[in-house]
Amino acid sequence: MFTLVIGGAASGKSEYAEELILASPLRPRIYIATMEPFGAEGQARIARHRELRRGKGFQTVERYTGIAGLKLPAGGAVLLECLGNLAANELYSPAGAGTAEGAASAVADGVDALLAQCGELVAVGNEVCSGGRDYAGDTERYLRTLAEIHRCLARRADRVCEVVCGIPVWHKGA
Amino acid sequence: MILITGPLYSGKREYACALLGCGPEELAGRAVWDVQDRAADCADLDALAEELARYEVVTAAEVGGGVVPADPGERAAREAAGRLACLLARRAERVVRVFCGLPQVLK
Repeated sequence: MFTLVIGGAASGKSEYAEELILASPLRPRIYIATMEPFGAEGQARIARHRELRRGKGFQTVERYTGIAGLKLPAGGAVLLECLGNLAANELYSPAGAGTAEGAASAVADGVDALLAQCGELVAVGNEVCSGGRDYAGDTERYLRTLAEIHRCLARRADRVCEVVCGIPVWHKGA
Repeated sequence: MILITGPLYSGKREYACALLGCGPEELAGRAVWDVQDRAADCADLDALAEELARYEVVTAAEVGGGVVPADPGERAAREAAGRLACLLARRAERVVRVFCGLPQVLK
């Protein structure tokens, strides 16, 4: 089962995604953390998410780019968080794919690789495309890349939901 | 007229093609898209909505979700885009929101 969970900032999407994993009988529970820990705000965000996961039996795997290369124990329940970070890392990190097309396929191939290894996958995406395109610099390319990743994974997913105030609104499956 | 809305790059045009059973080239004659961009310098949004409603399909991206822009021009453009979408939705027989390529009928 592959579920794509999308929501805006602080919409409760992480918590909901986690609930889906906790409801699965599959073990081990693996959390793939994708955020490169830059600065104090980044550290604080990571600490908050670690606190949320404490005692829930997750093994944390840190991976910022090229998730297709991950080797995971077979048949587990995997939480991949989040696509917004992965897209940014693939576009802008020195280790990333660099181009929009490369970034989109790195993430899509990565998800395929995860699906081949785990029994349950929940991927968390970020709704960032409802506020126009008048951003400085390269932001529009980022928006387009992330949107393509979302559409691509929505096609593969068994279920897709948008989390609003912690409540899932289902767009596919369920 | 069918109004298709949704976030930027959510697959609205691809859905329009599927709906009309045509390819992107034929779509240009039967549908009009990115109408949110036409609202900005429009003196009469009602007249624009009336004109656009002659197409089989109209797509408008949702652009009002972020913080109010500091720039007055961008602010007015965003406002006009939202109003135009409402005027179109009123005229539409059907309104569909496409989210990550997945259509949801709103009206």
